[in-house]
Amino acid sequence: MSRLEAKKPSLCKSEPLTNERVRATLCVLKGILTSSYGPSGRLKQVHNGLGGCVCTTSQSSALLSNLPVTHPILKILTTSMQNHVSCFSDCGLFTALLCCNLIENVQRLGLTPATVIKLNQHLLSLCTSYLKSESCACRVLVDFSSPQRLLCLVRSIVTSKPACMLTREETDHISALVLRAFLLTIPENAKDRLVLGKSIIVPLKGQRVLDSTVFPGILIEVSEVQLMKILPIKKSDAFKVALFCASLSGDLSDTGDGTVVVSSRVSLENAVLEQLLNLGRQLVSDRVDLVMCQKVIHPSLKQFLSVHRVIAVDRVGAALMEPLSKVTGTQPIGSLGSISPSSYGSVKDLCPAKFGFKHFLHLIPNEATICSLLLCNRNDTAWDELKLTCQTALHVLQLTIKEPYVLLGGGCTETHLAAYIRHKTCNEPESIFKDDGCTQTELQLITEAFCSALESVAGSLEHDGGEVLTDMKYGHFWSAQAESPSVVHWPDLLSRCGCGLYNSQEELHWSFLKTTRHPFAPQTCLPHEATGSTNNLTLDCFTAKLSGLQVAVETANLILDLSYIIEDKN
Amino acid sequence: MAAVGSAKVALQVAEVLETIVSCCVGPEGRQVLCTKPTGEVLISRDGGCLLEALHLEHPIARMVVACVSSHLRKTGDGAKTFIIFLCHLLRGLHTITDKEQDSLISKNIQTYRRHWKNCCQWKFISQALLTFQTQILDYIMDHYLSKHFLSIFSSSTKERTLCRSSLELLLEAYFCGRVGRNNHNFISQLMCNYFFKCMACESGFEEVFDLVDDYFVELNVGVTGLPVSDSRIVAGLVLHRDFSVYCPADGDIRIVIVTETIQPLFSTSGSEFILNSEAQFQTSQFWIMGRTKAIMTHLQSQNVKLLLSSVKQPELVIYYAGLNGISVVECLSPEEVSLIQRIMGLSPFVLPQASSQYEICNTALVKFCKPLILRSKRYVHLGLISTCSFIPHCIVLCGPVQGLVEQHENALHGAFKMLRQLFKDLDLNYMIQTSDQNHTSSPLTCKNSRESNPLPESVNGLIQRPYQGTIVKNKGKLAKTQTYLKVYSNLVDPSIELETYTPCSTPKVISADTYQTDETLRCLSPTKTSIIDDNEPFIESNSANSTAENTRIEISYENLQVTKIAGRGNILPVRDKSLEMCSSQSYYCSTLPAGCVLPVGGNFEILLHYYLLNYARKCQQSEETMVSMIIANALLGIPQILYKSKKGKDSFSQIYIRTLHALQTNQPIVSSQTGLESVAGKYQLLTSVLQCLTKILTIDLVINIKRQPQEMYDQDSEEEI
Repeated sequence: MSRLEAKKPSLCKSEPLTNERVRATLCVLKGILTSSYGPSGRLKQVHNGLGGCVCTTSQSSALLSNLPVTHPILKILTTSMQNHVSCFSDCGLFTALLCCNLIENVQRLGLTPATVIKLNQHLLSLCTSYLKSESCACRVLVDFSSPQRLLCLVRSIVTSKPACMLTREETDHISALVLRAFLLTIPENAKDRLVLGKSIIVPLKGQRVLDSTVFPGILIEVSEVQLMKILPIKKSDAFKVALFCASLSGDLSDTGDGTVVVSSRVSLENAVLEQLLNLGRQLVSDRVDLVMCQKVIHPSLKQFLSVHRVIAVDRVGAALMEPLSKVTGTQPIGSLGSISPSSYGSVKDLCPAKFGFKHFLHLIPNEATICSLLLCNRNDTAWDELKLTCQTALHVLQLTIKEPYVLLGGGCTETHLAAYIRHKTCNEPESIFKDDGCTQTELQLITEAFCSALESVAGSLEHDGGEVLTDMKYGHFWSAQAESPSVVHWPDLLSRCGCGLYNSQEELHWSFLKTTRHPFAPQTCLPHEATGSTNNLTLDCFTAKLSGLQVAVETANLILDLSYIIEDKN
Repeated sequence: MAAVGSAKVALQVAEVLETIVSCCVGPEGRQVLCTKPTGEVLISRDGGCLLEALHLEHPIARMVVACVSSHLRKTGDGAKTFIIFLCHLLRGLHTITDKEQDSLISKNIQTYRRHWKNCCQWKFISQALLTFQTQILDYIMDHYLSKHFLSIFSSSTKERTLCRSSLELLLEAYFCGRVGRNNHNFISQLMCNYFFKCMACESGFEEVFDLVDDYFVELNVGVTGLPVSDSRIVAGLVLHRDFSVYCPADGDIRIVIVTETIQPLFSTSGSEFILNSEAQFQTSQFWIMGRTKAIMTHLQSQNVKLLLSSVKQPELVIYYAGLNGISVVECLSPEEVSLIQRIMGLSPFVLPQASSQYEICNTALVKFCKPLILRSKRYVHLGLISTCSFIPHCIVLCGPVQGLVEQHENALHGAFKMLRQLFKDLDLNYMIQTSDQNHTSSPLTCKNSRESNPLPESVNGLIQRPYQGTIVKNKGKLAKTQTYLKVYSNLVDPSIELETYTPCSTPKVISADTYQTDETLRCLSPTKTSIIDDNEPFIESNSANSTAENTRIEISYENLQVTKIAGRGNILPVRDKSLEMCSSQSYYCSTLPAGCVLPVGGNFEILLHYYLLNYARKCQQSEETMVSMIIANALLGIPQILYKSKKGKDSFSQIYIRTLHALQTNQPIVSSQTGLESVAGKYQLLTSVLQCLTKILTIDLVINIKRQPQEMYDQDSEEEI
């Protein structure tokens, strides 16, 4: 009998954001996120007292998925960030930080949520339309004919994850590998619609990072014993492949809803095995060289095949089926009966390979968009972080091919955008007043809150107590070493701006980020030659950052709009 | 006085709920975050949602919530207004009874007060409320309010065409109260575009509403992690699953739907398959394979490129489908299948029993069939060719968190419900007294005339019988009605009124008086005794088939309810007599035409308030006056909250005074608000609240039992045994 229990009434709290405890928890979360941000971010070690492995990370996806939050407001914030990360892989910390900063700044003002939300939305649309416009000075067009810009993008992503523990040389190596792996997934003769292939990341822990490599085709891990049986592989110019998705273990398929009565002298096992061996005979007579099965192959069939020099690999798993069918160019076979000759595929070559302590069977395709990225790192936690990083980079490259733009990184986009918004609202406030009943003061207050939220995200990149500045011409982000002398000549102390586009030897004026400044018009329209000359730019993914900006403001608006929380305590 | 207690408790409960709900009302309303025990988080401004999330404990509170949700199921809107209105009504009642008690204490009992002492029972009030709801409300709606109504249709001709701009205004006002304030413009635009894209022709919009409302879940896709502004409309149908096998195809794509596995199985349920030898097993397996292959090749030969299946198909089927270039989508939900069937008019493909030489008739064409990738999840995207007035489109709703996506989904669904309701005609039935002499003291004179003149009563009962089947539709009869009215009731000029009110509608007016014009009146009057016998069963039978299309029958059903509730009290509902007293009272059925709207911002409430006060002033019966006054004052609570944050010229008192002035001087009312709202929705809300209130007032004692409800159930079943 089921237990019936009366439901407890829910807990209803009003004005949740004014609660001191909520503010404190928000502050703690912000502290965690701020200190992890950027290439010099501090690492976090998350370990669960009840078990599981320790995770050392500074990435938002790993951090937020391991960090359980209880308060509903924090839950909204973190799930929103996690959803963003699962869509775009990148800019998770940026989004979370901007959201936290916005909430904190706006709360201090004490304006009504209605005005705040309306104005935030206006400022956001100013930002997005500027970032999408041609005159945007922090957006760079990506030229796919030269890999330089893409390499910069990948390197920026890899360097921004310090928990991978990579040296400079290793960073370059990994960045190049990731870019190569991505280029291998682009089909050579794309027709009207580009369908990208897949890079499969193969783990190899305990090896040097520099041993990581990338191969076209698929690496299937096999045990040494199995490999010994297969060897030597006879050479031919093409290998005929049969790929099964049906089980070859001899189990009976679904017999229906009714009953099946089997006489005592009938052995169904023998009947099925006979059927399997018939299948084996057909495979042999069709001159198949390699049989792969998603599930289990019956030992007798395996034996039969190996006697006839047919390589049999089973338990491939569902994850590899799609890449395998792409590499071999066939549909997986679901029948144990007669197989039509069109269901066989082929690979160009088949060779055994050994990396570290692992043995692989390497399928080299004739022409396919599948590649394997063999990723090495010294220990488990660093490997996990590196894998996440490579996945992020690959995803960002995919997003970039859809929208061929990148944004200047290193905090420069944020400060430039803040300068642009300040200037815009100061000089053309009419466009905002037109349809809303808000006052000039309200607009100024919100603009200040919005812009300083953006700027403090950029400021979070500096962790070593140095000064953070912005120049009064381009509105880029600069950071200086700590313990600088009181009277300084800035051009000597600063070398390059955050993204690396401008150097300090130009005639520039600087101002501290924290201080109030006169709004100035940052120089718009990035000249093409300006980005061409510098090789080492820090770049961010355009799509991810734009969406991150929108999601951050929308989430902040949502949280600011809450008037009650109803907690179901059942 | 336990009953007073129940009303008091109800007031307390309603006040608590009002404080929560009033912060979400109107364009200035804010959001509420609801967490579920599973850890999910929902963001909501939907009153029904909030009330259910609260898990209220008090029985009265639970009854209120149940009333709200049943109202929501009907109309999809108005939960918050429901609570506010109910709260104000209870407050109004409370002050009146307080006054009453004071007067009792002061012992200053005058005749009027004495009357109150007798009549001011809760039950009496609830009856008065019911009378108000069933009679006065409709009368006021029809007579006074209807002249202010606007129509959502662009012209008042017979051909109803939807006006896009007014639909936009309507939706914007609706979403103002339902989604976050930075999204309502976007969402209402999205919905408007969606609706006009789905509509094949101007006339078939009702079908579109019905279909979208029924299959809303299947017609939208939620995507989390993207900004709300990425939401969009895609042409065609998006199925919430991936292809089992996908074979790119273009040109003519034929599809079939199957509801069973294509591969034959060894045995079907209820049968037995006896295996006698291994060879037999092998041959049957080969036969199964051969047959599956044959069916699939045959499908291919019929140019079928896509197989939609409501069940999981075996690997063998998938394999042969892939070989034959047929894409397969499995495990469709029954709703998805029925939606596809409804759009395309396609029935499932029945597997042939014998040889495969036959024509497949149950196929249909689609424009395209391709995978759709939304946030790295794959969906099936079909370009169905519609055979009805709905052109399939899907809404892709994006949002940073699931809770927000759900809020938008619910709001959109509610909007379709609201529109569906709006485009239905609303029947108004009421009675007015057409004789001036009787006006002053109707109950008394009614009774008198009833006693003195039993003939009309009996005649009326008889003549209604032949009328049952015949619905007055043809104009000839209608004309007759009017001519008769001129002749018969010379006391007042109802024919003129009939022609003037509801100018924008095509009035379908039936007067009860008409029956008496029939020649049967005189012919049948001799058989008086049998007629009187007939009267009772007639009403009974009507109550049985209340769903009949004849509005007249529905009315009688209501009457029956009224009499039942009223019991044997000396104040029988006046309406009941109206049936009998045709000479003094005429009985009206009128229709509020579909698509009636009013500007938002409490216009409906202020108008109704004004006319109710007017009515109350004219009305002589004290209970009617009282009820009308209470309702009129409670109505103002809603605009008061709406204009709470406004100052100066837009403050509530200013707007109220301006509107009243305009009404008194017959000037057009100027509204600062641009949105529109459905009149039918408001009307239904009002009736639902009044019904809820009567329910509350009729309770005199709450019995609290602390025992597992399971036991009660067991006892019941034992008794049955």
